[in-house]
Amino acid sequence: MNKSIFRSATLAAALALLAAVPAAAQTFSQYVALGDSLTAGSQSGCLVQRNQVNSFPAVLARTLLVPDFQLPLVQETALTNPPGTACLGAIFIPPSTVTVGAVSQMGAPLNSQLPRPYNDLGIPGIKVQELLTLTHGDPNGTDLEKLSALILRNVTGSPFDGTNAVQQADALIGPATGDTLVTLWIGNNNTLGASTSGIVVDGVTLISQSDFQASFQAILANLLPSTRLVVANLPDVTAIPFSTTIPPILVNPTTRQPVIINGAFVPLLGPGDSAYPCTPVPPDQGCGLPAGSLVNLPASSLLGQGVGIPVAAGGLGLPLPHGHIDGTGPHAGVVLYPDEVALLLQRTAEYNSVIASSASGATLVDANARFNEIRAEGFEIGGITLRTSFLTGGIFSYDGVHPSSIGYTIVADEFIKAMNAQGTTVYPRPNFSDVLFTPNVPVTGASVQNGGPWSYSFDMWRDVLATVSSSAASIVLPAVPAAAVVPAGRGRSTRMVARQAEP
Amino acid sequence: MRQRYCVPLPRVFLALAVVGFLVSRPASPSGFQVMTQGAKATGMGLAFAGVADDPSAIFYNPAGIAWQEHFSSMGGFAVLSRSSADFVSTNPFPGVGEFGTVQKQQFLVPNLFIVVPLTTDLNFGLGIDAPYGLGLRWNVPEVWSGRFISQNAVIKSTDLNPVFSYKLIPELSIAAGADYRFSGLQLERNTAAINLFTGAEVDVAHTKLFSDLTSNGGWGYNAGIMWKPVPAIGVGASYRSKITVNYEGTATIIPRPTGDPVFDALVASQVPFGVHPVATQIVFPASINTGVGIGLGGGFTVALEADWTQWSSFKALNIAFGDGAAPDINRTTAWTDSWAYRVGLEKKFGVWAIRAGYYYDNTPQPTKDVGPILFDNDRNVYTGGFGYQTEKFGLDIGGAYIVFKDRNVLTESTDNFFGVYSEIGWAAVADMRISF
Repeated sequence: MNKSIFRSATLAAALALLAAVPAAAQTFSQYVALGDSLTAGSQSGCLVQRNQVNSFPAVLARTLLVPDFQLPLVQETALTNPPGTACLGAIFIPPSTVTVGAVSQMGAPLNSQLPRPYNDLGIPGIKVQELLTLTHGDPNGTDLEKLSALILRNVTGSPFDGTNAVQQADALIGPATGDTLVTLWIGNNNTLGASTSGIVVDGVTLISQSDFQASFQAILANLLPSTRLVVANLPDVTAIPFSTTIPPILVNPTTRQPVIINGAFVPLLGPGDSAYPCTPVPPDQGCGLPAGSLVNLPASSLLGQGVGIPVAAGGLGLPLPHGHIDGTGPHAGVVLYPDEVALLLQRTAEYNSVIASSASGATLVDANARFNEIRAEGFEIGGITLRTSFLTGGIFSYDGVHPSSIGYTIVADEFIKAMNAQGTTVYPRPNFSDVLFTPNVPVTGASVQNGGPWSYSFDMWRDVLATVSSSAASIVLPAVPAAAVVPAGRGRSTRMVARQAEP
Repeated sequence: MRQRYCVPLPRVFLALAVVGFLVSRPASPSGFQVMTQGAKATGMGLAFAGVADDPSAIFYNPAGIAWQEHFSSMGGFAVLSRSSADFVSTNPFPGVGEFGTVQKQQFLVPNLFIVVPLTTDLNFGLGIDAPYGLGLRWNVPEVWSGRFISQNAVIKSTDLNPVFSYKLIPELSIAAGADYRFSGLQLERNTAAINLFTGAEVDVAHTKLFSDLTSNGGWGYNAGIMWKPVPAIGVGASYRSKITVNYEGTATIIPRPTGDPVFDALVASQVPFGVHPVATQIVFPASINTGVGIGLGGGFTVALEADWTQWSSFKALNIAFGDGAAPDINRTTAWTDSWAYRVGLEKKFGVWAIRAGYYYDNTPQPTKDVGPILFDNDRNVYTGGFGYQTEKFGLDIGGAYIVFKDRNVLTESTDNFFGVYSEIGWAAVADMRISF
């Protein structure tokens, strides 16, 4: 009897405590997300259901109890030979190698019969100037047309043919009864594409501020009014792990400490650019990268083969490729010189000023400032520190470009915090436990597509580029003697690799 | 004038008492201040600065011992416990639906007060008590969602407080004393890391920070003044200085195997498992107690008191790893000064007395700092007790029922750990006095 009374009292106390915690309540009847791969929920080089359900719009919809939030879900399948668009993961290769390799791939659409537009209309690779012009998709076309076919379903014969993402968003907002929410996070690829491909050419891979403004304002003009419009600005794309993991100096792969020769660090080699012209000193065919240069993650494969490492340090003396455009088309590179980094930062600031001034009346998420804060201080939650470092930080996925599920939850949280800071309604924040402690691994069996410490294969690199940039770039490497060999213990890889030029 | 009984201090007894205190267990928090050092004071709502008529006055207002004309030794203990202490979580972390409970520990806190008349107007007193303490051990510590912040937090203290009290004029006394505080700390928690193969956080290490009670201490002082314009009225004030204790101890970091030997090997290459030197500091706050005790006639005494504690001196909790093996822990606490308001009543029936009291205590802890290491809040406390007092012998029992307001951490949190904390506690104090 006493125990019964005690239990009842305990239960009553617990319920009373629960009542004190604000419960989530349905806040919007309709929510549409417009944007690029960061809105779609791309992770680790691919777009699959496992990660789409943890995209920031999906987290937002779950948290705000938005009904019937539909995603263009994509099945995740085992790797085929040749592989499709691969999803990356960390793999252990005995006895002691940890590598990033393909573990699964994108499969068939899972929700393509939905008779209305999807709520998440994020299209990987899309740029601001393409959001209104992408009205026709093609499963056999360019990367962007393929993704348009998948997400907008505006293919020949489809009722959505001829419609762009904004029109599809309007089709959901227009008839909605009740409060509507629209998030718009567009323009990331206008800098990211240039940064990750290493082709930073003003007026070509980077559009002007006025062009960005015209496109951005046209999007807003074509978007039907909603109860709440939340717009995010653009983070510093030069600060993502894709560009910050590899320092521009030689690092001992075992100790991960800088190599010092004659009392000085050993800069990696590049071919120079217009601001930093290079006159190679034989036997090297490149010049040391100036301080402030960035080396993108795919360089790890090249460094493992001795490319980018001076002969005096045991390398081949060949420069890491620098992105450029010539008569044969664009050629991707893996280094960004300081003038290119400065231009990317300047253009990011200009684009962000456009976003801030154009979106008056909307809620602005200062993704740029918040990302810089998190990069500097980490993200602390419940005694756990998350960082932006590659693989071990927790915020970025295996491609070094897109957030992880944890990272996307942080993004969703920042959207809600911005909404709460403006207005009287206090929206509930997302539950981080859902993603912090849940393993995010493929449902299919993993297989290794590439080896080498912390490296991608070129094939995977191209796939990664396809998810972030609509311009398919090819890579051109300098000619190397076929028998060239990297001495063991030097450079980033301890493997002895006989290198041949990539096709 | 009455004959005063001057007796030399029993050294062996004192030494044994000190040893007894050093092994005492920590007390439950009040802030993390523990005011229940005497049974009579506890029964009267701790409104004792203006009464101060038993040897526990050494703690509450040492000027009060100037009026105590016999050698007296008063010893006893307090039992402090929680009826319940719970946490109900909310988003963003640890998320809606998580619960946490604190172990129902009972802490035994001994006290010993000795008053030795030296001359007609000069008395010596020695108090051994534990004015600060904390013990917060969470249940199911390996599952508890706050385990990366704290699984177990302990602050121990024992004060050795010799004082002299001097009666300037028959109506006014002053007192001053030295206060040496022994203190020890303990903090246990797990560390999480991203499993790079799964992208999920996993427990990879358990860290125990430990600083022994007997190895760390700091000096302070206390003082008091008491004015009795007429025998039935006492007006008193006491001051206890802040005490800074610099702790040196160890951090023992042990692995928590994840079940993945490859990942565990990677962790082992990054985490400095083993024992490392650590150092930290706590600035225990200064406090001022002001009160009045009024004899109303008919055996009734009423006491009123307002206490101020300078908790703003507790600005941070920083833990430094002496060998740089791990990043230092720097936590801003930013507590604020607090007030407590107390009222107590006693009714005597010859040698017997019954007592009742109430006090309201404002928490010094800002909401942002509330977390699994320590959660505190404003509290209403209802007290009662009784006593049996003759000239040579006294026995007092006091009790307190402590009702904390729920502490809602919903919008800002240093730990980014959100939810509602609730707590109910109680204290029972028993003292026996022998006078010669």
